[in-house]
Amino acid sequence: MIERPPSSPIGIRQRKPAAAADATSPEARRLQWLTEALLIVGLLGLQPALMLSWLAIGLTVLAGLKLLEAKRLGERRLVGLLQLVCAGFLGALQADLGPSLLQGLAVVLALAGLLALEAGQGPDWRMLLRRSLQVLIGALPVTLALFVLMPRLAPFAPLSDLGQGGARMGLSENLAPGSIASLAANGDPAARVSFEGGQPPEAADRYWRVLVHDRFDGESWHTSPSQPRTGPEAAPAPSGTGTPAAQQLWVAEASGLEAVPWDGSALPLGRELRINGRGELLHAGRSSQRRLYRLRSSQAKEGGWQPIPPQTKDQMVPAGTNPQLEALGRSWRAAGPPTARLALAETWFRSRPFRYNRSPGTLPAQAPLDAFLFDRQEGFCGHYASAFSALMRAAGVPARVVSGYQGGTWVQPFGGAGYLDLRQDNAHAWSEVWVEAEGWRRVDPSTWIAPARGGGLRAGPTGGAVGWLQRQWWALDLAWGRWWLGFDREGQEALLQRLLGERRNLVGGLVLAAVTVALGGSVSVLGWLRRQPAGDPPRRQLERALAALAQQGLVPEAGETLRSFSARLEHSEPELGALLRTLAEPYELWRYGPGSRSALEARRLSASLGRHRRRLERALRRRLQRRPTA
Amino acid sequence: MNFGKIQQGDPLKLGMRNLYIVPSRFGLLWLAGIGLLQVVAIQLESHGPLLLSFLMLGLFLLTLHLTHFNLQGLEVRCGTPAAGFAGDTLAYPLRLRCRGRCEGLRLGLGAGEADQARSLGPGEHLLSLPWIPPERGRRRPGTLKLLTTAPLGLFVCWSRWDPPVPQLVIPAPRRGPVGRATAPVEPERGGRTSSQGVPGGDLWQDLQPHRPEDGAGRLAWKLLAQGRGAHAKRFGAPLAEASLLTPAAGIPLERALEHLSAAILRLHEEGSSYGLVLGATTIPPGQGPGQRDRCLEALALAPRSL
Repeated sequence: MIERPPSSPIGIRQRKPAAAADATSPEARRLQWLTEALLIVGLLGLQPALMLSWLAIGLTVLAGLKLLEAKRLGERRLVGLLQLVCAGFLGALQADLGPSLLQGLAVVLALAGLLALEAGQGPDWRMLLRRSLQVLIGALPVTLALFVLMPRLAPFAPLSDLGQGGARMGLSENLAPGSIASLAANGDPAARVSFEGGQPPEAADRYWRVLVHDRFDGESWHTSPSQPRTGPEAAPAPSGTGTPAAQQLWVAEASGLEAVPWDGSALPLGRELRINGRGELLHAGRSSQRRLYRLRSSQAKEGGWQPIPPQTKDQMVPAGTNPQLEALGRSWRAAGPPTARLALAETWFRSRPFRYNRSPGTLPAQAPLDAFLFDRQEGFCGHYASAFSALMRAAGVPARVVSGYQGGTWVQPFGGAGYLDLRQDNAHAWSEVWVEAEGWRRVDPSTWIAPARGGGLRAGPTGGAVGWLQRQWWALDLAWGRWWLGFDREGQEALLQRLLGERRNLVGGLVLAAVTVALGGSVSVLGWLRRQPAGDPPRRQLERALAALAQQGLVPEAGETLRSFSARLEHSEPELGALLRTLAEPYELWRYGPGSRSALEARRLSASLGRHRRRLERALRRRLQRRPTA
Repeated sequence: MNFGKIQQGDPLKLGMRNLYIVPSRFGLLWLAGIGLLQVVAIQLESHGPLLLSFLMLGLFLLTLHLTHFNLQGLEVRCGTPAAGFAGDTLAYPLRLRCRGRCEGLRLGLGAGEADQARSLGPGEHLLSLPWIPPERGRRRPGTLKLLTTAPLGLFVCWSRWDPPVPQLVIPAPRRGPVGRATAPVEPERGGRTSSQGVPGGDLWQDLQPHRPEDGAGRLAWKLLAQGRGAHAKRFGAPLAEASLLTPAAGIPLERALEHLSAAILRLHEEGSSYGLVLGATTIPPGQGPGQRDRCLEALALAPRSL
């Protein structure tokens, strides 16, 4: 670009500017590389088992390669769009607070990169940042209106491979403690639960069931295919004691399992929750993502599933797989009712030198439970629950193994309500036996062996400042989970119901009206901001005064100074000219004279100039009113 | 975007009636991206891509207006273009008055590509646009395209305008034969000798003691600063054998004019005195930038046949 034409034809000869190697601004390039780096960091937390993870990885790599070779504006725009889509995919895969913050930052930077591409070489970083925020904040009202009001569609089809699979939680549908040499300490989060309007259960009652293993093959316990479910409507009503029941708000981490943790007696709230016949709480949401659900604490100690009688499979022990165990169990059959056989078993366990050990080594493939009960006599909760349940079955008492979590850490954050934090090393296994009069009864044989492990809470997180910070972060993460996952399809339905009542056919009009109002507001504000003069506060006052004069055709001539313009104006319009002089003189003195030009001085002068400007504007209005009669 | 009514008149004020806006190809891709994120969000019942897709839709709706804002209210008027040579890249001056901040403005003259984007603040701006005139005369640079895609490149907003002020285009200088006719040199008043030259030219010839009537413009400031007294510069044209240039016989007129253009530039560089005869137009011999510009303008505006 040639800014000023030369005065002589001799000076005109010039070359056409050579096409730049990279036609885009360096700021845009830096911003796009920064976005790419953030996306790559975001990829580190993905589960490779998911197809969508590979899609996100592929898109990020593609964006990076395109960024390497992109020279033209169109190519760089494409990079920006790819980066935004990548951030969206990451958002679908990781909804925790940390990754969400990272994705949000990546989106802001990708948009700033696109803005820098379009703005050309001119603007600086501050300008870019301001403009990016303006545009983002301008688009937020429309975004929120759509997010809150636009009716959510149900998934098109149950996808099993796009985002499903990839179990992350420590629990598994198959429990084979004999094949585990050592339990790894795993502090990953499993679930968090807060009790709104109530207290958490006593420490001894903190058993959070997830899976019920009812098929035994002599070596390991399996979960049989889900039985017909009972919905919340089928669950028993809470026994009315007059006090409002506590609402449990659960946030369960991605597990790959349909079953989610619960206390076994609460009432599910929400259509996505079902309780099956063996007391598993099933969540219809995607198990590869964090799930949020609400339960209402029940005063009743038992859930609707507890009286459901056992089936044949709950009593089966494959004959000959563990002969010593079977013989011991058979010897208890004559002891009387199931409760008596239970008592015999407890006595038997307590009288033997069993020890609790997280690293007991593997058991032999042949008769593993015999080896555990009569030879090794050390193991962890899975060993005891498996062996006890098998013994009970051999003794003719229906029994099964339940896996889930036990205990938890009570976290009281700096601000807000406390919650119970369950980690993967809170995972536990216990037994359930069928007692005719009361239904399925929980029996935890680990408590007979290692009371410290069975009865106590897990030790809290690291103490000191680090532990405190960690707990605050967990609390923030939970608050984010509640807020972010809380507004689901049902939450939206409830809101629309409140807004529209029976007139649900008006939802389209409501969305349109909200978007129009939000867009109109944003456009008006941004349009007004755009017309604001640039520069420091005194300069802006001066520009506003000159703009007001220009509206009535009073503009400075080319090359005319402010002072000579006010002198000329004073000649034809004495009042206006004098008022302009009162603005121009202190401004010129401040701008060009000696002395301080600090921000404080600028604000003071701006306030004073603002008063003079308003007087000038009033004089201009009077002039306009006089005009038609003149 | 090469369609839409070409606006006429000077100045041009851009507004609702003369601005066009359509989604760009990138804008359509953007919509496809929104669709993809919506599918992922619905299928996975995930809030992240849902919010992002709505944000992108919100940005799409917002930038429709912001892109239009960039050009709305912009006032464009022609400057005073300086003369230039045919075939060279010339600068065509434009004055732009922006009501608000004007982002990502691209300007292009004729069929050429619009230049790099620039952002202009509120107020007056003087810009010059490059263009290459094909031939001599008073030439208008063709249709000016004002275009913006800022802030996000999702929409293209543009207008087309024919700037009415022509630019003087001189025949491109090309070495070659020129015709000459010797001009009689008028004897000077006061009987100056040839070594004194012809007064009134642009060439600094001599110094003489400074007199008040000489004014400050002629004062030899350098000598004064060196403490060598106040001297006035005396200008004049050397009295040489001034020649009247004419188009060479036997070659096409346009080519002959190009030769004349080169000859005038050369004589000017040498400090020689020269004149020009083009058909009925005669420029008497003289020197200096004024003489050069007069002769070159005569070449630019010469009739197609003499």
